[in-house]
Amino acid sequence: VMADSNKKVFDIFQSMEEGPSAASSAASAWLDHHSRSLGLFMDGKFVRPAGRQNISLSDSKGAKLCSIVCAEDEDISQCASSAASGYTSWSGLTCSQRSKVLLRLVGVLGLHGQCLSELCALSEASCSPSALVRLLQYYSSWAQLRDTLIPSWTSVGVVVVVSSDDCSLYSLMLKVLPAVAMGNSVIVVPGRSAAPPVLLLAQLFSGAGLPAGTLNILTGSDVTLGAKVSQNASVSYITYTGNKQDGLTLCKAAAGAGLPVSVSQCIGATCPFIIFESADIDSAVDEVIQIAFKKKKEVHWVLCVQESVAESLAARLKLRMASMKCVPLNSEGDRVLVEAAVKEAQQQGATLIQPCSAGPSVTQYPPTVLCGAAPSSPYVVSPPPGPLLPLLTFRSNTEAVALGNHSPHGHAASIWTEDLTLALETAKSLSVGLVWVNSSCVSDPCLPLHIYISDFMQGLYQFLRPSWSPVRPRSAPVAMDYSKFGTEPTQAVIPDDHRSVFNSFLQFVGGKACKSVSGCSVAVQAPGGGNVLGFCPDGGRKDVRNAVEAAIKAQPGWMKKSPSARAQSLYSLAKGLESKKKDVSASVSTQLGVSVEEADKEVELSVARLNVWAAYCDKLQGGSLPMPQSGAALSFPEALGVVGIILPDKYPLLSMVTVLGAAIATGNAVVMVPSQRFPLPALAFIQVLQSSDLPAGLVNIITGNPELLTVALANHSVIKAIWYWGRAEGCQYLQYSCTSPLKTLRLFCQKDEEASDAGADWTRTDASLLEDLWRNAVQWKSVWIPSA
Amino acid sequence: MSGRNPGAVLDLESLSKVRVNTQAVLKRAQHIQGLKLPKKQWQAAWLLKAVSCIDLTTLAGDDTPSNVHRLCMKAIQPVRYDLLKKLDMHDKGLTTAAVCVYPSRVADASKSLKAANSGLPVASVATGFPAGQTPLETRLQEVRTAVRDGAAEIDIVINRTLALTGQWEVHMSQWESAGMLLKAETSESASHPLSIPTGSDFIKTSTGKEAVNATYPVTIVMARAIRDYYLRTGHKVGFKPAGGIRTAQESLVWLNLIKEELGDDWLCPHLFRLGASSLLADIERQIYHYVTGQYAAYHELPMA
Repeated sequence: VMADSNKKVFDIFQSMEEGPSAASSAASAWLDHHSRSLGLFMDGKFVRPAGRQNISLSDSKGAKLCSIVCAEDEDISQCASSAASGYTSWSGLTCSQRSKVLLRLVGVLGLHGQCLSELCALSEASCSPSALVRLLQYYSSWAQLRDTLIPSWTSVGVVVVVSSDDCSLYSLMLKVLPAVAMGNSVIVVPGRSAAPPVLLLAQLFSGAGLPAGTLNILTGSDVTLGAKVSQNASVSYITYTGNKQDGLTLCKAAAGAGLPVSVSQCIGATCPFIIFESADIDSAVDEVIQIAFKKKKEVHWVLCVQESVAESLAARLKLRMASMKCVPLNSEGDRVLVEAAVKEAQQQGATLIQPCSAGPSVTQYPPTVLCGAAPSSPYVVSPPPGPLLPLLTFRSNTEAVALGNHSPHGHAASIWTEDLTLALETAKSLSVGLVWVNSSCVSDPCLPLHIYISDFMQGLYQFLRPSWSPVRPRSAPVAMDYSKFGTEPTQAVIPDDHRSVFNSFLQFVGGKACKSVSGCSVAVQAPGGGNVLGFCPDGGRKDVRNAVEAAIKAQPGWMKKSPSARAQSLYSLAKGLESKKKDVSASVSTQLGVSVEEADKEVELSVARLNVWAAYCDKLQGGSLPMPQSGAALSFPEALGVVGIILPDKYPLLSMVTVLGAAIATGNAVVMVPSQRFPLPALAFIQVLQSSDLPAGLVNIITGNPELLTVALANHSVIKAIWYWGRAEGCQYLQYSCTSPLKTLRLFCQKDEEASDAGADWTRTDASLLEDLWRNAVQWKSVWIPSA
Repeated sequence: MSGRNPGAVLDLESLSKVRVNTQAVLKRAQHIQGLKLPKKQWQAAWLLKAVSCIDLTTLAGDDTPSNVHRLCMKAIQPVRYDLLKKLDMHDKGLTTAAVCVYPSRVADASKSLKAANSGLPVASVATGFPAGQTPLETRLQEVRTAVRDGAAEIDIVINRTLALTGQWEVHMSQWESAGMLLKAETSESASHPLSIPTGSDFIKTSTGKEAVNATYPVTIVMARAIRDYYLRTGHKVGFKPAGGIRTAQESLVWLNLIKEELGDDWLCPHLFRLGASSLLADIERQIYHYVTGQYAAYHELPMA
């Protein structure tokens, strides 16, 4: 520093170097005011419990920043009760009162923005105050209009927001603020880098009039603290943002608490940066240089360049990178990893673009482009840390899409072309949640980011529940051997003199009614037990495999059909059910032991439900998003793909057509497992499916041991989502197992004794029942096309 | 300076493939304007660098030998001697890059500079400045006269009638016949990639007499053309923004922009010029403030 301040004007005149950046003072003063040791935040104030373990945090230069407290069980329960009472007072306010409070927070940020941005810079949790202001303004208007625009939905209660150590404050607040705006109280379990700034925010917000207990902060050593918090009975929902690894740890740790867990992977995804020959190459290069070599990068970019311009692009990159300096690494160990990756790349023939050679400092590495990469290159498959950018070339537009879709992450993509048609076609074909055209890394609350994989409920809905739905029953996780789940053999059917002629039913796979692969059957009992009504196939892993194969063939064509064509198919399905009313009604009546009139009523309701879904087909659409910049922001609902469904016991026919309609109206294919207790209506429905014009394989019905079938569905990577009605153990199993790849789960715990399925009353006709279903059957894709 | 631009073959086909995404360029410009500017001695050094790149200009109808003389003297001693001495810059030969006058005033400027034993180049706007709407013969004659009277650099106006109507071939042949060209100016950024192959050593944002003159987004596009030409021929073409650059702050942004877009190589009078008249006064005040800690009244600093 001394050497710097002695610099002569003439020397600088000749070298034209930039001076040092100004030191931060406001943030340091705030930290000093707290003696550089930050506590927990609950009941609207800082709490510093005695005798807790402390974690020391360091700033971007490695100097000590401050310490945070490791919360223990006692702190968790205190915090939970703070959040519970905070929920009472916050949800007790009217929409406009909540909105007003949120707007007041904007003023506070204006006053202390400098302190906040300095603290973010120190703790490397990048977030500009203006971005937070935008979030607050956006969500305060939603808070105002919640009951007007989203009627018959209400807040879920106490929401836990967990983030990983490397998550930015912005990504964290992108979860916290909508939860608060929808009337929930929040317990934040921040990662290390976001902890100091979010504690500052909690203090600022509390001072500005956010009721005590609405925003609480618990700090700890890792994300499992989030799982511990979720065991508390007053928590209703848990959501996570950050890297994949910690997300999976949290999912496993939180399995069985009876809580929905939503995971947004906002860090560590691999995203394609596609440059077509029709692009403004120089602007693309500018953008690459700005985003690809940061010390803290949230995604790994892979540069995909059309072959015809690859050479000129590389030349430009080289020229533009010439003046770049080495980038700091996160740790010394990273240098080893980076060097190993670069060496390996060179051995495989990659050429480097580097402004300078790697210096002696072990915590730095020069920005490096690895030209000649391929999708199979190890540094593309599992990107090492550090400022490395692989460069792949492609020949045609379709190959660009194929390359882009090769990544398993499906997070976001940036595409560069001046050709609007090409841009839109490419955006449509990429299986990612967000496409930036001629731009990148644009984030705004109205552009739903990182929702493609598992966090599919658009922004606000994840923090709401239909007002009619009861609060979910909480359960405690049981000790279970996950490897044993669903392996109990089913009772074999043996020849028996007392049983004479029995109905033997078939399941429905790939458009054909068939027996199970194993050839075995199971008995279907009459209600109350005792009497055997017939036999249905005992499906297993192979039946599921065959069904998924058929489904994956049928689904893309079904999705490509026009919405009105899908509507016609659903209308005719309804008509088919009506024409087979007698048969289906008889099966309902036999299966449930109810009167024919009652059974008729269920069939009628089912026909009506299918007609409603048919009508919905061309009404479920995206639109343009209100971006604050000039340009076109579009959102499209897209099908998830293949959905696995373990059907509920209650109203076996009506509930089946309801969830089936939701799934296929939005373009999905399904593999359904009928209720084990009441499978007959679903099996009777097969004849309706057979005479329909739905493509073969779109709808599959497999009977048998639901636990075994659950395991089979959980272990098939093609299945993107599982909707499960069943025992608590099944819920716990799915939460624990469906992490690789992460599936979206809708879990409803139903107890064996009562045929209640988490209170869903299938005869309801509320819009919110159907909305809840279809919103869970789609994933949103947003496309941002900025213009001048 | 890597020698004069030898010129290159005009490749209209590759030029037609050049795409410019306006919003991306605007965003880039915004980003550059948002970069932090140097402080303390770094600021002082950068400001002096800006001074060394100024084409100190007077282009008024009422220019006479006396105000041209004052301009020349200011160009030779752009910042008060005692201020430079405090910065240890008094003996580093700091002058502006050139003085820039109308062709009729070139003789006056050369005379003044010669009398003061200064080798400072005289630049002249020739070729029917600022509209360029005079016949080719007249424009050529203007250039010859200016050169005869001692001009070392000529700022020429391209024929925008031909440029805007797409008659590039005609335009280029006219230009080549002009023979001696130094700086090309226009307000249509699209023409710049085309003016480079003809052999101009500098390209200029505009005449400085338009409603909209040197803007950052236009500069970014022009800097790309310079880069592109450098990639294709290895020759570095200079850049001169002109018009509306009045404050020291703006001159720092310009230096930052050139540093970012073209690199440190371009931060010298051989490759970067600031066409300005009132900018120098503001820079000198900033230097005064850096040296003394006080803000100067205008009369405390010598006028041009």
